[in-house]
Amino acid sequence: MIVTTLKPLDEILESISPYRKILIAGCDGCTQPPRGLREAKTLKQLLELAGQLKGKKFDFKVTSVVKQCDSVLTTSALKPYVEDVEAVLSLACGAGPQTVAEFFPDLPVIPAQNSHFIGIDDREGSIMYDSCTACGDCILALTGGICPVTRCSKGLLSGACGGASNGKCELDSERDCAWELIYERLKRLGKLDLIRELAPPKDYSAKGWRVTP
Amino acid sequence: MNQKVAEPKVAVNINDDQCSRCSICGSLCPYDAITTDHENKKIILDIEKCQVCGICYSACPAKAIDTIYYSCSSVLKYLEKVRPQYKSDTLVIMCKGSAPDFSEVGRLFGVKDFIPLSVPCVGRISEEVLLGVLVAGVKKINILACDEDYCRFHRGSPLTGRRTIALNRMLEQLGYGEEAITLKRNSLKVTVDKDLCIACGNCVYYCPYDAPTLTSAGGISFDLDACRGCGLCVALCPAFALDLENWERARISDLIPHLLAEMKPPKILVFRCQWAVYPPLNGDMSPNIGTIDLPCAGRVEALHVLEALQNGADGVMVVACSEDDCKQEKVSARAEHVVTRIKEKLDQIGLGERINFSAVSPRYQGQVEEAVRQFRQSLEGAGAEKGAAK
Repeated sequence: MIVTTLKPLDEILESISPYRKILIAGCDGCTQPPRGLREAKTLKQLLELAGQLKGKKFDFKVTSVVKQCDSVLTTSALKPYVEDVEAVLSLACGAGPQTVAEFFPDLPVIPAQNSHFIGIDDREGSIMYDSCTACGDCILALTGGICPVTRCSKGLLSGACGGASNGKCELDSERDCAWELIYERLKRLGKLDLIRELAPPKDYSAKGWRVTP
Repeated sequence: MNQKVAEPKVAVNINDDQCSRCSICGSLCPYDAITTDHENKKIILDIEKCQVCGICYSACPAKAIDTIYYSCSSVLKYLEKVRPQYKSDTLVIMCKGSAPDFSEVGRLFGVKDFIPLSVPCVGRISEEVLLGVLVAGVKKINILACDEDYCRFHRGSPLTGRRTIALNRMLEQLGYGEEAITLKRNSLKVTVDKDLCIACGNCVYYCPYDAPTLTSAGGISFDLDACRGCGLCVALCPAFALDLENWERARISDLIPHLLAEMKPPKILVFRCQWAVYPPLNGDMSPNIGTIDLPCAGRVEALHVLEALQNGADGVMVVACSEDDCKQEKVSARAEHVVTRIKEKLDQIGLGERINFSAVSPRYQGQVEEAVRQFRQSLEGAGAEKGAAK
């Protein structure tokens, strides 16, 4: 999923301060929990409370889109709401506000979230881990399902650098050494021979800036 | 420093002088809190294990057990006092766990007017109370218990079933007809609006009982036999697709402004787990405190906390059982997490000190009052500080 966090409320308040009539648009998509209707309504109430304290009155509308990165879904879902609003406050990842900006060119759009990475969610402790860089050339089949491009601090492709101690990275003692994890996993799978397959230099041009699926 | 700190009064006590050592209490206690000391020929209550269900109190043949909540005499006295308010000879005794809404309960028994008596578990209501109210002129007793498998105290509902059958047999011989006491059972569960569900799986993760499953069709389905009505999934559903019978979101939202309008500042609205706090039968009298009872603190929604602040609450409290005392599967810990998360956000706009989470137990008298007092003090302290800053 895309991992996002809510921006500091002060920053959001500052961004929306020029406007009064604002549509808060949630997104039911990738994040967990989804930044959907509940998050949108909670944000509305928080901003109203903050506004009360500062003597500022807002007029919020609230809705949520199934996937804000989908231009068709977003356009049709937001159309009934945008008639008399001055700005859209988006709860989606970075793709959401950009979709809104593109299809409602006359409407200012403000992000309410900071987008961090494509991640794995450890729900129990609510800690998220970066797990995919979207490099465009996936090698997980060779690495036991653990991505060295993302999870090795140095992004090494062909085995550990030798700097790790006790399974932790030499650059960050809290971070697991991805290559040690890969080694253990391949050993468990009985596929240690894969680690000998030296990966050729990655073709980063494969990442691309546009693709046709 | 000769001051002695007074021992807090415990909710349940075994009076050794009166005890006949029959050990019925120990065999009925759902929490193994009562044991027999064979060497010293004594029955011993471990108050730390006690969850204050009142089953031992209601079952003791020697009347050797005291309780500070809903004792026979206080219940009878209360009913005598309030009876003139009701134009009815029918008493409905209900467990709070299955009956937060009196009108729904009336419908269940097919009665419009009745004298309501709402207690945390009907298992604490003894034969003495039931016979006492009949002596006092009540013609019909209806009891609403939780479904046996859902009794928060495990044995309260089954015991009430046996008690009702036995009493009815006796009362029939006295000419009360076949069913002087009618027992019904009920459990309140989650409801799903499939049109609103976004199939995110949040409820699947949070439900402690594996009641919901995501179907391949992209919707949610609940095994209602597994649902124990804690309301956690309802409080966390990102799409408002879930609700809880009798503790609906809208019902709680409607209650908030009404309660706050009647309160005097400093207004403290308390969302309380009905198993953590046993309120007096005649209600909570402080004009500063408003209370909303919940089936479990897990039902608390951040939205309701914010609504309370928007409607003029000076402080909002969530009062829950401790994690170990939680009558659900450690749901109170989740509730604390919900409160912590919304407090973090309120901190950012300078309102963080106006929300409080407290874990209390009814096993010691006055715990909740003390928690409220401390919170009120901190609110007034913060208010005074702000006043001085101006």
